[in-house]
Amino acid sequence: MSTDEMIVTGPGLEMDTMFVNLGPQHPSTHGVLRLGLTLAGEVITKAFPDIGYLHRGTEKLMEARSYAQCVVLTDRWDYCSAMTNNLAFCLAAEKLMAVPVPPRAQALRVVMCELNRIASHLIFLGTYGIDIGAFTPFLYAFREREMILDLYEALCGARLTYNYIRLGGVAADVDADWTSKCREFLEFFKPRIDEYDTLLSFNPIFLARTKEVGLVSKEAAVDWGLSGPNLRGSGVSYDVRKSEPYCGYEAYDFNVPVGAHGSCWDRYFCRVQEMRQSVRLVEQALAKLPTGELMAKGVPKIPKPPAGEAYAHVEASRGDLGIYLVSDGGVAPYRLHVRAPCFINLAILQEILVGKKVADVIAVLGSFDIVLGEVDR
Amino acid sequence: MNPSADVVARLLAAVPKATAAAAPVKDYPTVRLAAPADLLPAARLLKGELGFTYLEMVTAVDWLGPVSLGGFVCRGNPNPLSRKPAAPPVSPVPGPGISYRPVLDLLWSFGDLGENRKVFLRLEVPRDRAEVPSLTGLFSAADWQEREAFDLFGIRFSGHPNLIKILTPDFLKGHPLRKDYIHQEDEYDVDR
Repeated sequence: MSTDEMIVTGPGLEMDTMFVNLGPQHPSTHGVLRLGLTLAGEVITKAFPDIGYLHRGTEKLMEARSYAQCVVLTDRWDYCSAMTNNLAFCLAAEKLMAVPVPPRAQALRVVMCELNRIASHLIFLGTYGIDIGAFTPFLYAFREREMILDLYEALCGARLTYNYIRLGGVAADVDADWTSKCREFLEFFKPRIDEYDTLLSFNPIFLARTKEVGLVSKEAAVDWGLSGPNLRGSGVSYDVRKSEPYCGYEAYDFNVPVGAHGSCWDRYFCRVQEMRQSVRLVEQALAKLPTGELMAKGVPKIPKPPAGEAYAHVEASRGDLGIYLVSDGGVAPYRLHVRAPCFINLAILQEILVGKKVADVIAVLGSFDIVLGEVDR
Repeated sequence: MNPSADVVARLLAAVPKATAAAAPVKDYPTVRLAAPADLLPAARLLKGELGFTYLEMVTAVDWLGPVSLGGFVCRGNPNPLSRKPAAPPVSPVPGPGISYRPVLDLLWSFGDLGENRKVFLRLEVPRDRAEVPSLTGLFSAADWQEREAFDLFGIRFSGHPNLIKILTPDFLKGHPLRKDYIHQEDEYDVDR
């Protein structure tokens, strides 16, 4: 499927351009993203992503909240993968306070974040299938995701906004019943990934719509600051879990899948392979779950970290989520900045959509897996 | 051997007035630039010779003082058992080592993905004349992040091809992340 420019020129064949407004209220934009597209015939000559419809000013809100209250707000950025948001904030605050996290809490953080990565990639797999026109995988993906959400509900009572990872540790312990249910899920889930491959990944129609579409070169991916599966789909093996391990990731055995060409399909397939790696990580973490405390000693209810600045970043489901935290010694963060991977991943659209056909816009947009709650914060 | 020490030394040698920051970002090498004119040479050196091809973050801090509570939409606490409205916890006194001053402190983070290195650059500009050169010519990733800093802090990035608001609505006046920002009532504040 070639998407070359096919503008016929000649006397009497001059074309007017047309402006097409995609979104902000359109299911295929995955939230409230507006894309202003200028078309010459079927070919896009200018793309203008317009964001901010979901801007809630969480960075400002946090300047007047205590640190424990801020954890609640972090859930609201990437609401499909709230555990990693909790973790990034807590890591930054713990760095400022120099709090050592107990080993059991570290392992539980790994379990929860990797389960959340599976749940988040399942949303992507299901909705991307719908974007392309395959409705069936959505039902399968959400069936499995529901099981993860049930595990979370049993753990902390919430299905989406967990507030589970707290300053200095985690909020609740897992019991033997929970771990056996989790292992049961993993055993159920492993063959399902092969099922997705037959259902969607190697489906000829799906391949034709995505394999040669939305190519992002290695250099462009680094230049535009892409991260997560979008960067790895272009063949750059960069994963924060490997480059700057946190929560003891250096002790786990897992691979970082990379794509070959940086096409929509490469980005998609990176996520599918990452689900397998996440299963491995959860299995390893459950197998060697240490005993002991859940919360570090000496973290007050209203912490006042010493004045200073810290930066902590984690490999969230959608990329490199960084928190820059400044404390002036008060009860609220003096300044907090979120390096939101979705926000930075989205910026490349204005370049790579140009020259594509309008039919490919949804395939390209969907392959970047954005969550507007994080784009706008 | 600490590979980042070499980077800091190269930066300090190439940009004469730069200094190693007195208050660094914890655990990362941080270099403070003296003037906006130093930014482009430092970024060119980082990208061209030292291999920092990944612009990770552009942001700023307003060091004016405690955040003004007028910048928030504060409604009384409707809980009848609570005696007074819950007041946001903002401390008026800075901790040791912090001095409030009317500057915007910009921060850039550059990464070297192959070598797993990271370096922070910082630069103070006065709040009323906040203007620095744009890095869009060197890093495409600067495009939206500079627009964000422009929108929320009012920092002008000279040379940016498309410096317009990105997150806040068009009718909103002011720059919300400045500490003295005061919320202006708009049609969405009225309860219907």
